[in-house]
Amino acid sequence: MSPPAIVLRNLTLRVGSTVLLDGIDLSVTAGERIGIIGPNGAGKSSLLKVIGGTAPGHVTGAIEVLGRNLALPLSRSTQRAFQAQVGQVFQALQLVPRLSALDNVLIGALSRNRSPLSWARLFPAAERDRGRQALRTVGMEALATARTDRLSGGQRQKVALARLLMQQPDLILADEPTAALDPAAAAEIAAQLASYARGAGIAMLTVVHEPALLPLLAERVIGLQQGRILFDLPTADVSPRQLATLYGTVADPLLVTSRPK
Amino acid sequence: MPMKPATARLRFLAAVLAYAVVTLACLWSLQAAGDLSLGRQPWRNLQTTAIGFSHPSFLDAWSGERRREYRSDDGTLLRVEDRRQVERKFLAALAEATWATFRIATLGSLLAALVALPLGLLAARNLHAPRPLQLAATGLLNALRAVHTLVFGLVLVGIMGLGSTAGLLAIAAHSMGTYGKLYAESIETLDMAPINAVRAVGASPIQVFFLAVWPAVLPQLVSSHLYIWEYNIRDATILGMVGAGGLGLLISEAVSLFQWDRLATILLVVVALVALFDAASRRVRKALA
Repeated sequence: MSPPAIVLRNLTLRVGSTVLLDGIDLSVTAGERIGIIGPNGAGKSSLLKVIGGTAPGHVTGAIEVLGRNLALPLSRSTQRAFQAQVGQVFQALQLVPRLSALDNVLIGALSRNRSPLSWARLFPAAERDRGRQALRTVGMEALATARTDRLSGGQRQKVALARLLMQQPDLILADEPTAALDPAAAAEIAAQLASYARGAGIAMLTVVHEPALLPLLAERVIGLQQGRILFDLPTADVSPRQLATLYGTVADPLLVTSRPK
Repeated sequence: MPMKPATARLRFLAAVLAYAVVTLACLWSLQAAGDLSLGRQPWRNLQTTAIGFSHPSFLDAWSGERRREYRSDDGTLLRVEDRRQVERKFLAALAEATWATFRIATLGSLLAALVALPLGLLAARNLHAPRPLQLAATGLLNALRAVHTLVFGLVLVGIMGLGSTAGLLAIAAHSMGTYGKLYAESIETLDMAPINAVRAVGASPIQVFFLAVWPAVLPQLVSSHLYIWEYNIRDATILGMVGAGGLGLLISEAVSLFQWDRLATILLVVVALVALFDAASRRVRKALA
């Protein structure tokens, strides 16, 4: 069995007197893909931030990610090395506008390229080739020189994905990566993300706002409610009843079957 | 708490009423002071001025009389001048003054842009400079912006004497306030999402600056610089009136001698200069957008 990528023991996160995460126990092995769902304010994004090393408040409990103990503050250089290992995907708006798609992809490799030439966006030819390769993988090679603020939402998220490939992370944290996309583009991005994680054999945690995407993105689902884990199940075992309890709504079978197009 | 629509409408009505009262008070006091008048012969004066303006003096440089005779009332010849030669000399002086004005505006703007940078950084609220420093920077920027370039010009001419240096520093002193405010505002409205994303791949702070912050602020920096530069070209044309060099001296000369034809030539040059600059700066801004 592969070593755990993430181990959380009795994790609690407080901001002021508000408890955002309350006694979380979680163990994730390398290669596992996990979906995190729950109503607004359940602590989904906070959980990702704690695992990514940027806890937005005071943390108690044990946190070990990629073999590093995050309960203690990291030095600046260790922090940067850790960030380079963790691939983050957010909602849209994470690309640098006015730079080309290729330049944005090459930003993914900055942690391995500390040359001052990188300040002027002068990258080695081999690196540029790898950047183009990454764009080809997501089907965006034709738009390599296009400015990212001229691309559509789906195209931008593909470029962000190519940047993630370029980064070669050991763990992926994705916070609603398809929130700003139409259903077709959302499914495509989700599939590409999952296939990369599967191919690289790395763990991936995704906050999912649309239960319909769960089968694509995750084999295991964690339901969060008010900072606590309500359930932790294989995706196939999540029932409409459990979703209804989680979100506090009436069971709606449409939520788990694929949405009508 | 949102206001009821009726209350909101009443408040708007009250504001309109207050505005009307202020306007009427201004008008009434103007009338009461006997200052509301167009002068004794507005129509005739307007005609003289219009005729002067309709024949800008530069035309005479090519089509003026070769021998214009000035005679006293009893017919004695006082002097003879070659209009073409006189106006050509004036055009040469005008070209020199125009260059001096452009020079004052250009150097003054650049100086202000550089000096204002640290002040803008201190004043930007989202950079969280120590509170007293932030207040001092904001206060200084506001004070500089509140004092007109012309006032700085008068004071500086008093300190360092007549000439372009006083004008240049006057431009810089006033513009510094504008630059600092614009810098602070563009930093405050910076979209942090891409910057955080670049930081999140493990980039070093200097890489974050050059690959995320710089591309985001560059168009704003260039466009505000061009805007203030152009503004300063117009401001610098006035500065000569207080002896700080450039076109202003020629303007005040023409005005005090009622030489409307020359004023027309000078204004044409100013308009052309500003239009040219605007066209060039628009191209630069478009290329950078």
